[in-house]
Amino acid sequence: MGAQGNLVTQQLDYRHPWPVRIWHWVNAAAVVVLLLTGLLLFDIHPHLYWGEDGHAGIPAFLSLSGTDLDRAVPQTELQIGSRRWDVTGVLGSVIDDGFGGKYLLVVAAPEDWEFGATRGWHFAFAWILALSFLLYGLYILVSGRLAKMLLPMRSDLTLRSIAHEVWQHLRLRRARGQAARNYNLLQKLSYLFVIFVLIPTIVLSGLTMSNAMTAAFPDLFMLFGGRQSARSIHFLAAMLLVLFVFVHVFQVFVAGFFNLMRSMITGRYAVDREDSV
Amino acid sequence: MTDVISRRALLGGFAATGTLLAACGRLDEKSPFHQLLDVADGFTLHAQRLILSSRPLVRELPVSEISKTFPTNGTTMPKADYYKRMLDTDFRDWKLRVHGLVDRPLALTLAQLQSLPSRTQITLHQCDEGWSAIGQWTGVQLSRVLALSGLGRGARYVVFHCLDKIDLDGAYYYESLDLLDALHPQTILAYGMNGKPLPVANGAPLRLRIELQIGYKNAKYVDRIEVVDSLNSIGKGRGGWWEDFDHAVWYAGQ
Repeated sequence: MGAQGNLVTQQLDYRHPWPVRIWHWVNAAAVVVLLLTGLLLFDIHPHLYWGEDGHAGIPAFLSLSGTDLDRAVPQTELQIGSRRWDVTGVLGSVIDDGFGGKYLLVVAAPEDWEFGATRGWHFAFAWILALSFLLYGLYILVSGRLAKMLLPMRSDLTLRSIAHEVWQHLRLRRARGQAARNYNLLQKLSYLFVIFVLIPTIVLSGLTMSNAMTAAFPDLFMLFGGRQSARSIHFLAAMLLVLFVFVHVFQVFVAGFFNLMRSMITGRYAVDREDSV
Repeated sequence: MTDVISRRALLGGFAATGTLLAACGRLDEKSPFHQLLDVADGFTLHAQRLILSSRPLVRELPVSEISKTFPTNGTTMPKADYYKRMLDTDFRDWKLRVHGLVDRPLALTLAQLQSLPSRTQITLHQCDEGWSAIGQWTGVQLSRVLALSGLGRGARYVVFHCLDKIDLDGAYYYESLDLLDALHPQTILAYGMNGKPLPVANGAPLRLRIELQIGYKNAKYVDRIEVVDSLNSIGKGRGGWWEDFDHAVWYAGQ
């Protein structure tokens, strides 16, 4: 309903307690910085491998390469498995290294950007992401929010209810009244997937690229099937997180931008009163 | 990181990326942004020191895992005349100097280094560019060399002065470790690779292998080892060439 709704007909739920709100925005900022720095790091070697070692001469399952780097828009090719696509002008831009060499980048960086510092920034914000995530995880467990807000109810998990949810989503129908007070099933499942699968996978696969961490915990290599597999999984999981962010933001617009932004800033979420008894 | 420095010359960029990253990247060295970076790196250092308190070894791999090719990066042929002269005579006249805060400064020939007990290890090399390769390294533990020289009062860091230049107009390469990493059993001064003498492209006559840290810490063409109490007097004070000229993190165990 949001701003357009008549407040007389609405009641404001206190939906998001402050720890959740703070975590949400800290996490959002960290994810943005991690994505940008992560893409810059990927830029330097835009090839994904499986196993322990991966470098020029070892087949990559995903690779971005360019030819004719002297042209303003170079011939650029994306390869996934044995398939190849011409992505000239879509992905990749060429830079001159000042020593007569040219390189192909996925995303361009601003002038004067220090590439050496890129890892530093990535790790600084990885700390922020990981620590705030741990605190958030502890909070949702201890406060009961996990059980109350995030875990699906038994009644949600019937085929009929699932089919109904999917249908509502496909029609972009927003929940009203009492139903709007709770997260819907698909919402719960996507949040649970991000919290229990995506973020832990990203953090652990990131740690598997650390010499020191794997010295202490060599099982990380087993978990991800090798150093390069971990890098690939890190990248692919990050792309899934990007997909989540896109859908998440899209849903905010579908379900009422003002109301949802208010609820994640002040905690207050408006529900229609006439339906809510 | 061969070409990383040059990438500072990048043009353009996505508007959204540009604004945010430019705010972090275009600032002078003492900026709060860089201080934040150093705080985070210190945080990583201390957290990993805690995790590594039992002093574990990094994984060593079987011979069958050695990569068929091992990428060469950074300098692959030092340009200095001195280096070329040494190379022409198979480094017979070359000596590794160990000096600074040591009890007994050393000048060791390659033959003398090779006569010390050696360690051979097959490990995964990781470059900060993202690639990795497995190689076999043979050399003398740095701890043995430092035991010969002894450590003087106040010794805290070990600095490696090299014979190559990443930026041909700039300074010779240098890197540094603190004593804990320097004295790790797998930290070796390698003169052999994959059962053969260390190739020029991989750092002949001598390179550092610091298995707990990433590629650029593994200095090639090591010519001289200096023990110091502080990194302030080394280069621009951040302890390494990439650290000083591209603001790479000094502790790179991540």
